[in-house]
Amino acid sequence: MDDLRTLRELYGEPQADPFAAARVRVRVEDGVRDHLAAGAGRRPGAGFWTRLGAGPGRWRPRPSGAVAAAALTAVAMAAAVAVVGTTAGEPGAPGRVSAVSGRSILLAAASTAASEPEETGAYWRVRKLHRQVHPEPLGRGENRYRLVESRITEQWVARDGRVWSGSRALGARPASKADEDAWRRDGSPAEWSSRGRVLSTSPEEGRLTAATGKVPFSMAGRAMTFEQIQGLPTEAAALKDRVSRVVREQEAGGASAGGSPDGVVADALSGLLWSKPSPPAVRAAAYRALAELPNVRYLGEAADELGRTGAAFSFTLRTTPSVRRTLIIDPGDSQVLSSTATGLSEAGGDQVELVLEAGWTDDEPAAPGLP
Amino acid sequence: MTALPRIALSPEGTEPIPPAEDAGAGPLSLDDPEAFGAVFDACFAEIHRYVAQRLGPDHAEDVVAETFLTAFRKRDSYDPSRASVRAWLYGIATNLVGRHRRLEVRTLRALGRYGSDVDAPGHDERVAARVSAQSLRPELAAAVAGLHRRDRDVLLLVALAGLSHEEVATALGIPYGTVGSRLSRARKKLRAALGGGNPMLDPEEAGRG
Repeated sequence: MDDLRTLRELYGEPQADPFAAARVRVRVEDGVRDHLAAGAGRRPGAGFWTRLGAGPGRWRPRPSGAVAAAALTAVAMAAAVAVVGTTAGEPGAPGRVSAVSGRSILLAAASTAASEPEETGAYWRVRKLHRQVHPEPLGRGENRYRLVESRITEQWVARDGRVWSGSRALGARPASKADEDAWRRDGSPAEWSSRGRVLSTSPEEGRLTAATGKVPFSMAGRAMTFEQIQGLPTEAAALKDRVSRVVREQEAGGASAGGSPDGVVADALSGLLWSKPSPPAVRAAAYRALAELPNVRYLGEAADELGRTGAAFSFTLRTTPSVRRTLIIDPGDSQVLSSTATGLSEAGGDQVELVLEAGWTDDEPAAPGLP
Repeated sequence: MTALPRIALSPEGTEPIPPAEDAGAGPLSLDDPEAFGAVFDACFAEIHRYVAQRLGPDHAEDVVAETFLTAFRKRDSYDPSRASVRAWLYGIATNLVGRHRRLEVRTLRALGRYGSDVDAPGHDERVAARVSAQSLRPELAAAVAGLHRRDRDVLLLVALAGLSHEEVATALGIPYGTVGSRLSRARKKLRAALGGGNPMLDPEEAGRG
């Protein structure tokens, strides 16, 4: 339960009066002048404020309150981005040779996907481990360290469209050995507050919630039902056309402002591989369509955070600021192993999702267990 | 360079740091009126937001003006090695808000009844939390109003101002460990007010392809 977020929802966002800053500034200037005139100024330099004159018009142009706050935030973000930059690394340059082999890997995965039997089972389930470095360093004094937060999520979808979401926070941990050392020097605290949230080392209880009335899936920001996914085209060009049309329509509706259209198409196609119960023929078509996209770059072999190796592909989701998604796929069974979103400055560090299980099952929906 | 060593204005910001007027101004950059003006410009919006949330927009300007004037008057007591200017201002604002207990309770009652005016734009995954906040609004507002003031101050500095334990400790002049105990006491009461209706995060499908 996120009680602090609920509390923020209660308080809401106060109406911003664009003239409030100027009004209060004049009052503060007057107050400061009175204070200094009353003889409280102790240094000759302190009279400078008085020499500036009365009106705020004599002051240098200043940012509006919102801009100034943004400036503060921007600095915090710059710090976060710097960390992202060092942890993420620059995706390898796409040479001609690797581009060709990348395409062949995707086509091979398409063949594997196409030859999979239609799976049976009462529920489609995806179980993921999410990992993200908290955007702000924590700790006291000299002992600053980064924490990584982990969470297990599960989504269950019955063939009749009913949906359940499971979630379980696993607790925060120091991100590296050096961070762990600093955390110990800080007295090994078990709880921190930062950016309006409380982080804790303790895992939560697992929870399962039935999502009533919610369309379970989305593609490029558009809601999609289980039936709609089953009915997607099974031919690569037709599938790409369908996805591109959705992306264009969503953009016209302002749904994905700031996105790179090609990147959103690549993301929507790849989402069919690992976030949705797509039939084998649709998965195969999605792989073939991805193989033809010029903006999907093959980075070579890579291991995910669980040490599983596969082929890494990446594409730009947003150009300014640049956000990239890197997928590691297992060409052997065409499964997506992990996704890493890089450059999400507002969220802090890389957003890593590791697919632990994806597919049909006869298990009944239950709260997620510990990994 | 005496200007604002602790405040996070830098070349990345939209406003360059004004040059220090008086090289001998000592460690307290707030002394320099221009630097103090920069502090005002940098921090007004968030301090005003915090005060307006707690006391309502009608009375926020008085309290915010008083916050900055108090900061200027007490600038000699500001210790940049202990607190950021921002946390220090939050501390002053919090003390001033505390003088308006009846107003704060009235504001909370209104929030409980009608909610905040603006329906903040939210992503899909926020809906669950918002729905729960709406249905339990009166209970939640009453629980916040019923907190001991010192617990409420810590809770709101964490939840609304986004301060760290360390910043809360310096802002309020209390020990670090006390921040944690006050915060957990306050959150326990919030959770009790929210009952079993757990607003659950749904990180699934957030903008996924």
